[in-house]
Amino acid sequence: MPPACPSRRRALAAGAGAAVLLLTSPAALTGCGTPTPEEPDPLESPAGRAEGDAALANAVAAAHSALAPAATAFAADRRAHATALRAELHRIHPAPVPSTAATPAAAPAIPPPVSSDPASARSALTQAMRAARDEAAALVVTLPGYRAALLASVSACCAAHAALLS
Amino acid sequence: MSPPSPHEVPSNGLPSTGGAGGGRVPVGALQNALAAEHAALWVYGVAGAFVSASLSGRLEEGATAHQARRNATERMLIDAGAPPVPPEPGYLTPHPVTDAPSAIQLVIAAENDAAAAWRSVVERSQADPDLRGAALEALTAAAVRAARWRASTGIAPLTVPFPGAP
Repeated sequence: MPPACPSRRRALAAGAGAAVLLLTSPAALTGCGTPTPEEPDPLESPAGRAEGDAALANAVAAAHSALAPAATAFAADRRAHATALRAELHRIHPAPVPSTAATPAAAPAIPPPVSSDPASARSALTQAMRAARDEAAALVVTLPGYRAALLASVSACCAAHAALLS
Repeated sequence: MSPPSPHEVPSNGLPSTGGAGGGRVPVGALQNALAAEHAALWVYGVAGAFVSASLSGRLEEGATAHQARRNATERMLIDAGAPPVPPEPGYLTPHPVTDAPSAIQLVIAAENDAAAAWRSVVERSQADPDLRGAALEALTAAAVRAARWRASTGIAPLTVPFPGAP
């Protein structure tokens, strides 16, 4: 019975096609906590903040030598945070860099204004450390495991900087 | 700090339910954290014999914090239906402790171990504010204490960008 075979093959091919469609449907690909393309990735904000903090800390270090050791150390750690967070963002959104990423990344080009008063500069730095600690901590309880652990370390690091400076 | 013989964490592969938030509790990770708290308490006790009186307040503060954390972790495990691991009768130190600097180095190592164990609890627990929150708090406290101990002895850098990261 020659016609039986092709029809069976067609049926199998159709079945395979349906399976592929199921696997590539957005519902199947969007795991828990993985953002859909429309909404910004929750790591965008902490990544941008880390870049902004590094720029602020470098500017404080340049303007106030007494604050330079603490500010330089904070800048180095915040740069490491930005790199790790951007790497995770890139892992999830490989091809085109999301347009929202360009804005915070461009910010460090212009050094942020720093108060000439050392106490004000110190306070601005402490506030940045605490805000970074709190933002990352809030995300720890909502994000999936790997991202939560990454942000937990970011939060703990910023808490350590804040504790040393205050 | 490692126990004289590798301590087998009971990994029966059966994640217990109940406890914080009613979510699944990562019993193995919590037992590791408890073992790290036991070890830290032992280390703080050893360091007491070497650290100068000017740092005894900090030593006492750290020991009290680890004691509270140990008790809370034991309660979490009991709530999850897992018998908490007991402390080891003795621990092997990574280097001989002969004076204040080597004792403080050991304390910093114990804080790093605790940070790693609690980061792992964050990573392995579900997005549960209670358990994740407690683990973040423990990780942060360990990172802050490690930074303060480094500052007290001038060990640079005072901070690490990702406390507890492998």
